[in-house]
Amino acid sequence: MNKLLAVVKREYLEGVRTRSFLITTMLGPLLMLGISVLPVMVMSRIGGGTTRIAVVDQTNQMYERVRDHITRDNAEATANRRNERTTRGGVSGARYELEQVALANNSLEETKRNLSERVRRGELNAYVVIPPNVLENGKVEYYARNTSDVFTAERMRNRITSAVVEQRMSDAQIDQGRLAELQRRVEIDAIKVDGEGERRDSGSFWLAYIVGGVIYAMVLLYGNAVLSSVVEEKTTRVSEVLFSSIRPLPLLAGKLLGVSLVALTQVIVWVLVSVLLSLYGAGALVASGAEFTLPRIRPEVYVYLILFFLVGYFVYSTCYALVGSMVTTAQEGTGMAMPITFMFVIAFVLTTPVISNPNSSFSVLMSLIPFFSPIIMLLRIMTETPPFWQIALSLLIGFASIVGLMWIAARVYRTGMLMYGKRATIPEVMRWVRQP
Amino acid sequence: MANDDVALAVNNVTKRYDDFTAVEDLSLAVRRGRIFGLIGPNGAGKTTTIRMIVGITAPDVGNIELLGRPVNLESQNRIGYLPEERGLYKKMKVGEQLRFFGQLKNLAPRAADEAADRWLEKLKLADWKNKKTDELSKGMQQKIQFITAVMHEPDLLILDEPFSGLDPVNSELLKETVLELKAAGRTIIFSTHLMEQAEKLCDDICLMNRSRKVLAGSLREVKSGFGRNAVALRYEGETNGVLDDKELVASIKDAGDYMEALLAEGADSQELLRRLVASGARVTKFEEVEPSLHEIFITKVNETS
Repeated sequence: MNKLLAVVKREYLEGVRTRSFLITTMLGPLLMLGISVLPVMVMSRIGGGTTRIAVVDQTNQMYERVRDHITRDNAEATANRRNERTTRGGVSGARYELEQVALANNSLEETKRNLSERVRRGELNAYVVIPPNVLENGKVEYYARNTSDVFTAERMRNRITSAVVEQRMSDAQIDQGRLAELQRRVEIDAIKVDGEGERRDSGSFWLAYIVGGVIYAMVLLYGNAVLSSVVEEKTTRVSEVLFSSIRPLPLLAGKLLGVSLVALTQVIVWVLVSVLLSLYGAGALVASGAEFTLPRIRPEVYVYLILFFLVGYFVYSTCYALVGSMVTTAQEGTGMAMPITFMFVIAFVLTTPVISNPNSSFSVLMSLIPFFSPIIMLLRIMTETPPFWQIALSLLIGFASIVGLMWIAARVYRTGMLMYGKRATIPEVMRWVRQP
Repeated sequence: MANDDVALAVNNVTKRYDDFTAVEDLSLAVRRGRIFGLIGPNGAGKTTTIRMIVGITAPDVGNIELLGRPVNLESQNRIGYLPEERGLYKKMKVGEQLRFFGQLKNLAPRAADEAADRWLEKLKLADWKNKKTDELSKGMQQKIQFITAVMHEPDLLILDEPFSGLDPVNSELLKETVLELKAAGRTIIFSTHLMEQAEKLCDDICLMNRSRKVLAGSLREVKSGFGRNAVALRYEGETNGVLDDKELVASIKDAGDYMEALLAEGADSQELLRRLVASGARVTKFEEVEPSLHEIFITKVNETS
């Protein structure tokens, strides 16, 4: 036990001291920051200035309505920038300034020429010509320096559409309030029926995907670390001394735990940083009244989430340890480890038939296989909770497979070490496992 | 030989890999407080034997006992092993490395640190404690590796080619250290194919060839039992053909400053001396020499191959 702990400690300290650990731990939050904050910054930089748009309203009915919409948008954009409560979504920090241009005595062509000149000089960003027959054929012309600024074009299209629709309704003498009332959508209230009665438990099956995704990400990020840690002693020839002091099984278990703790450390740093980062954002989101409710989950489900996460992570990373025990260099191992990730893909593919029929014998079978159970069994728990014995059996099989895989890896490692120099073939591995 | 005098007993051990027999029916008795030389050509089965002793692999047949008890996990802590293939963690600092290996031999971290400091001091490496291992020269790394084998004060110390790659100064330092350990009552198994080294250090030897024990016993017994008599000889003047007498001298070998005459079977060295003196030659050196371990090695290996 002391020896196992010494291995765990060595592995952990070596892991967290490497330059690559420091770099990825630092860069992770920076990357998150980049992904989450940069677009917002870019958007607010775009919206920082005011977009000036001239409107030539040949109907003489539309301008007021369009301006009202834009004014409301602007108020909202200001509120957004201050992270205040907003009433409508989809409005970034961009501000628009409208200007009505009357034809007066000039011809349309002449007015357009003048406006185009102002756009060229940069006094205007764009101008819109609303033709007299817009209510009938629904076409307006949009002239801009930068027609690829789809945000502005889209904004104008939406707001003019609203104005035109309002005008049409008003012409047809339809009461808009009444119409909105009649068009209200129905809401689905999903209620789960199970052994314990009826309960609102909707949407929580996504958690199975989240757990699966987290396991997948962890395995992709740290699987190779497990692999190269197992190969390390072969390349440095330390294994001979090690095995004169410690059995292969505690050695491999210690290495796996050590690397996992390194992974955990990194993930904790990332989670803390992103929680801090998103606290601000989430606060704003909740303050803005967005529907943000956690799915209602029974407490025992949290326990299952953790247990199946552990099964998934360790089943897959033990596979990497097994591959590491078979090969002589880490590079060689990376190629051989490819099929492991395929198992993951299969698990995700299996979710489709399982989700539509969670209690079929196929679903039951798949939820017992350790490579799939973390996702499939969780999915079943979230949809139609299976009998407890199935969950327990699935967990038992999962943990037993981890120990079994570890045991095989230890055997292969020890025998392979005694005859190093070449990669083990599968028949050889089979023979080594059977050897005393 | 009293039984409690035996530190390590290897009893009729056989080890096979697939269809290759690495060690066949090997029995050894390593006496307490002595240096036991395990010698033999490459591929003779020395390393496999050592691996079974340290518990890396188990014998297919037979058993191994350390201090009267079968080797097991517990006995691993009482053995120190310096393998021929040296291996240290390259990126670890020397001090941490030694602590880790000490802990693997069941030392408490503090005890491991103390032992590490003591040994670093002794082997003149104290300044390197906080350096990464790959900053050290090969010879230094080898001394570090030696420390990992001895720091837990093992009852049995196994050294596989401990002097390879060391300069004469460090070689001497290591040799003195090994002799000190012996004086302190430790049992040492010394595996090598450098016969001069084995001859200088070992009390007992076992020669292995082709998976089997060929020769064993104390160095003295082995030499006297080898049944070859040679004479180191130097003279001035004519010998009148005495040395050409095949009844007396089997062969003559030039040894630089002198010559070595291998006596014919049944011939007496005193007879040779008498005849030489009678021949009128002036004998300036006449010394009975034992066959060197090197000669015994070559002869025995050739006989059994």
